[in-house]
Amino acid sequence: MSSQLGESRLTRLHHREEVMGTVVTIDLYNELSVPPAEFSPFLKNALSVLNHADKTFSTWKVTSPLSQLRRGEITLGEVPIEVKEVLELCAVAKELSKGWFDPWSLPGGVDPTGYVKGWAAQRALDALALSDVTGAMVNAAGDIASFGRPSPDQLFRVGIADPAQPTTLACVIELRGAVATSGTYERGQHLINPFTRRPVTNVASASVTGPDLGLCDALATALVVGGAEVFDLIEQIPHYEALTIGDRGEQRSTSRLAFVNS
Amino acid sequence: MNYNFGILSVTVTITSGKITKVGIASLQDGGNSLSQSIDAQSIPMLEQQAMQAQNANIQGVSGASYTSAGFKLSLQNALTSLGFK
Repeated sequence: MSSQLGESRLTRLHHREEVMGTVVTIDLYNELSVPPAEFSPFLKNALSVLNHADKTFSTWKVTSPLSQLRRGEITLGEVPIEVKEVLELCAVAKELSKGWFDPWSLPGGVDPTGYVKGWAAQRALDALALSDVTGAMVNAAGDIASFGRPSPDQLFRVGIADPAQPTTLACVIELRGAVATSGTYERGQHLINPFTRRPVTNVASASVTGPDLGLCDALATALVVGGAEVFDLIEQIPHYEALTIGDRGEQRSTSRLAFVNS
Repeated sequence: MNYNFGILSVTVTITSGKITKVGIASLQDGGNSLSQSIDAQSIPMLEQQAMQAQNANIQGVSGASYTSAGFKLSLQNALTSLGFK
């Protein structure tokens, strides 16, 4: 053994929660070994954010406030404050995407599902940020919110799944904040062109990075549907970057996306 | 509901200022039955892909939304199950 050899301990705390019809993974990174129990209250808060969002916004649970709103049983004036907040944020995303993200154009009434998962994961991350960890990451079905670092000398790195073979990576990016990826390769065709109201995809996979996962989620959906037009819009939004992968694996990214060269 | 964290303790060996070896020191999953069943099913299948991810030194995988069933076959699952190499 070399005399220069030193040893330090990194601890990663990991939790999985089955919620919102998927699995959300939560990772906390620490330089020192702090007893995991110290983070339990923060985890508990993060999980209640996710489970509350599920109860409030589920479109398949008939009793959820959103389902009631969609059936016209309650009015916008009667919905919980979070529903109002999310719909207002959706309206902003609709405007930013020039209508390519439009929860009001979907069949069956307003459906903010394309915003909610990212919004909820971002809020769960906010709950974890109240603890004094080095870094935290919430991955909600491939949409990731993060803060801090996994270790003192490294930023978070995230692999973007290859749409042609999703268990391999198309590329790796350095993450400051959030990244959402949209595509039809996991669950089949489910994206609607809000202008024609017909199923459509322009690219196999679209990823958007930025400070807020809710907006990333909405813009990624808009990007799959709207293609080049939305790509140009995102290039103009400060702190948000985009990456698209086409059917033949061709990649296109906005000018400031931080790739990790391997 | 289970509010416990699983814990992955990782040892990092540093030689001349560079990380030369990372190993799992202990793995407890906090008694989470969901993660146990997921791990038992999918770790062998995804080991190879996870190695690629580990070599890329990443902490997460972003991709199109998967369902709970899809998660078992995801690279994110393999990555967080195996942790660091």
